[in-house]
Amino acid sequence: MIQDTLMVLFHILVFPGLLFVCVCGLLLAGIDRKVLAHMQKRVGPPIVQPLYDFLKLMGKETIVPQAANRTVFLAAPVIGFAGLVVMMLFIPVFGYGTFNGSADLIVLLYLLTIPAVALIIGGSASGNPYAGIGISREMVTMMAYEFPLIMVFLAVARKVGSVGALSFSMLNIEKWQQVNGSLITHWAMIPAAIAMLLIIPAEVGTQPFDVAEAETEICEGPLVEYSGAPLAMFKLNTAVRMFIMTALFTMLFLGGITTGMVWLDAIILVAICALVTVCTMTLLHGICARLKIEHLFKFYWTVVAALSLLSLALVWCGL
Amino acid sequence: MSHIHFPVVAVMSMFVGGFLIAIFGAKRRKLSQGIALVTMLFADVLVYSLFSPVILHGEVISYWMGGWKPVEGYAIGIGYEVDQLSLFFAMLICFVLTMSMIYSIRYLEKDSALDHYYTLNLMLGGALLGIVMTGDIFNMFIMIEIMTFTAAALTAFRNHKAISVEAGFKYLVLGSVGSGFILSGVAVLYGVAHTLNMAQLSTVLSQNYNPSTIFAFALMFSGYALKSFLMPFHTPVPDAYSAAPASIGMLHSGSLNKCGIYALIRLTYILFRVMGLPAVQTMMVLIGAVTMFVGVTMALAQHDFKRLLAFHSISQMGYVVTAIGLGTAIGLTGGLFHAINHSMFKGLLFLCAGAVYYAAGTTDLDRLGGLSRKMPWTTCCFIVGAFSISGIPPFNGFASKWMIYQATYQKAVTTGNIGYALVTVIAVVVSVMTLASFIKVTQAVFFGQERPQLSAVREVPALMRVPMVIMSLICVLFGTCYNLVNDFLLYPAVYATLNTHGYVDAMMGKNYAAASGMPFVKYEPVQFSFWNPVTWLVLFVIVLLAVFVVMMTGESDRGRVLANKGEEADGKFATFFSGEKSLPSHVGGSDLFWGFKKDFKKYFKVVQGIHSGIVNDYVLYAVCGLAFITVFMFVFVLGR
Repeated sequence: MIQDTLMVLFHILVFPGLLFVCVCGLLLAGIDRKVLAHMQKRVGPPIVQPLYDFLKLMGKETIVPQAANRTVFLAAPVIGFAGLVVMMLFIPVFGYGTFNGSADLIVLLYLLTIPAVALIIGGSASGNPYAGIGISREMVTMMAYEFPLIMVFLAVARKVGSVGALSFSMLNIEKWQQVNGSLITHWAMIPAAIAMLLIIPAEVGTQPFDVAEAETEICEGPLVEYSGAPLAMFKLNTAVRMFIMTALFTMLFLGGITTGMVWLDAIILVAICALVTVCTMTLLHGICARLKIEHLFKFYWTVVAALSLLSLALVWCGL
Repeated sequence: MSHIHFPVVAVMSMFVGGFLIAIFGAKRRKLSQGIALVTMLFADVLVYSLFSPVILHGEVISYWMGGWKPVEGYAIGIGYEVDQLSLFFAMLICFVLTMSMIYSIRYLEKDSALDHYYTLNLMLGGALLGIVMTGDIFNMFIMIEIMTFTAAALTAFRNHKAISVEAGFKYLVLGSVGSGFILSGVAVLYGVAHTLNMAQLSTVLSQNYNPSTIFAFALMFSGYALKSFLMPFHTPVPDAYSAAPASIGMLHSGSLNKCGIYALIRLTYILFRVMGLPAVQTMMVLIGAVTMFVGVTMALAQHDFKRLLAFHSISQMGYVVTAIGLGTAIGLTGGLFHAINHSMFKGLLFLCAGAVYYAAGTTDLDRLGGLSRKMPWTTCCFIVGAFSISGIPPFNGFASKWMIYQATYQKAVTTGNIGYALVTVIAVVVSVMTLASFIKVTQAVFFGQERPQLSAVREVPALMRVPMVIMSLICVLFGTCYNLVNDFLLYPAVYATLNTHGYVDAMMGKNYAAASGMPFVKYEPVQFSFWNPVTWLVLFVIVLLAVFVVMMTGESDRGRVLANKGEEADGKFATFFSGEKSLPSHVGGSDLFWGFKKDFKKYFKVVQGIHSGIVNDYVLYAVCGLAFITVFMFVFVLGR
């Protein structure tokens, strides 16, 4: 009994929960910065730099502005972070996971909104006008990518379900891929995979889709008043979101590769996540300037939505 | 007194209470309030004591006025009949009415003519209970008439304001048009079937589609759709809900349009039993999808708190109708669940809007800001309500929307029709847009910059906070324990709706339904998606605690408040501010999301043009809606 409880706590706090997610997230953020630096002919910081930044911020003084609602302002980053970590517990790592019977793909779509909403509410509670603009843009970004994202999920669910049925269970998606090969090898799913790759940067908020936090024009938007430990939490949130989104992509489209050894699977997962990070976020960051908010919205509701709708329609025709 | 008499006594007591106030309550505020509360509590006791026999033991209560029982299988008298579906809505209505009554004690303390308010309020309550508990289609029409007229009068309650009178007028005109549709439908039905009893009508009309019955169906469907304010009949809503006092706005969106939904369910599932026809399903889902999308986009363009809530009411009714229009067990479950959840969170949000109005004297988003530090209770309740309506887990709105997504997508897969899959997509997008417009309210009213003219604002009195807190707790409870809600409220109601035999037999005598050849539908609830809010909550709390412990080990001198106003700067930070005043925000509440609005400029131009505010146009839309439904039904049901 005690052993079981300890095992569950281990799952929640160490692997695949809290600690694992934090370490992987910070690692991915470091890789992102390093590769980007090389693209721009710079040397770049060491790969563990995000961890240093995090530790440094944790030790700094926290300042709460007078116009802010103190409780909400301080609680928002922690709640958003907890929401993210719990989400990771529901995503099976190559079929491994203790809690993935508690939530499925549709629920995940909504759990994804919790960290974004925490950022918005936190920024809103700071009472700063720049934060006001920032949260408005964050919200529009969210409206922009949720539309294609749901279609990607529906296409996957339809493809994985047998004839006349469907499955939102992530474990089923994983098992299906073990039998039938990764979803990305089914050509009808390729548009959806591309759409998902384009959704990841907007969800994480990296350039060129970082309109909400545009440092050069609105001083990091929702984060403008944050300092010290809450800011560290938000930075960690971004890093962890990077990992979770790439892990989700891996689970959805590159699943089915398993060695049977959990630790090896985890290493493969992190390697694939790093690859996806470089392919989507770093590459786009390296070659594109920041979009305007109305262009961003139009891009997602036309190009990306069309890609995912194409996949949905193809899957619907039984391809 | 046996519980057979409870339904009719509950309805009568409400009317008697209303008349008593009208006679004795003039200029006596306390007496009016006292009579109203006692009557309401009495009706509550009667209705809730039916929970055990009806829901737990599955009894269907039938009561014949004056003992006029059916003779030789023909119903002549007026009957009251309470099955699980009726009781589901009756309990919902009683709860919302009671909350509204408690709230109005302090909320209306500055208003005069309270005896009129309570008279009308009790009559409205009696009419609402009558609608859901009657077994007679003409009696239902009469109750709907009483509902419409009392609601119009209550909408115009603050009649010293021009907008209230205008709203009351619009409500009255459109409401009368709707009542006209319903009455014509009832008349046609009476001509065809020679009976007004719903149980008997159900056996006569089942599978009996000819031009007369279909025309009656179209008329009544339009009439009830107007009462639940679906597109294109939604037009009086924004004015009515925003001009009415918040306690009435809450009744409007929490119980009045639920009666419309109830009547639609009775009409489609029980009276005509048309839900097996793909054409009717398509029509209802189409109306629902359009309603939810147009409602939410119009809400995004609003800059008045209550008006925004009104458009969200329309949009959420779209969800409900989409779900019940699927004609599947899970769709109906999701629809009923969303209906009850909508009453909770929208009632809560209206009460919050009322609290803001009470404290700050306005609900204009461009003139509010920074109230969260002055009104922490209201802010907290508002955030719960806003997250519930936007479907953030683990609140109740998520649980019901999640069922609706499943239901629509399942329908898409089983029928192979990609249109239903697009309805799922629309539902999700609408949900995000709902979140967006509530973020706008949060930012513009509760957070953001504090306005100097609002410095004297205080938290509302405790008696107003009580209903808000109760409703927020219910939002959380229904979201986390949706299985219990399903077992004790939704499953019985859905079972009663899909298995009409019990309803007919209780009224007309044993085996009446089987003898008249009604097909028996078997009900099997199928959930293929899964969501365990309790596990999520436990995990969330554990992670939260762990993170909290880590945070606490760090810097100890944290969270100090910085005076970022120049005049209070201390030495340490003066370098950064050097006596400058902090920046005012140029972004008003209605300016948020301009990037989105810019992309949708053409769409907004068209849709806002349609909502012209002219009653003649609105009546024209209603008639066009009736024409559309009639033609649709004739072409796709009769023309098959």
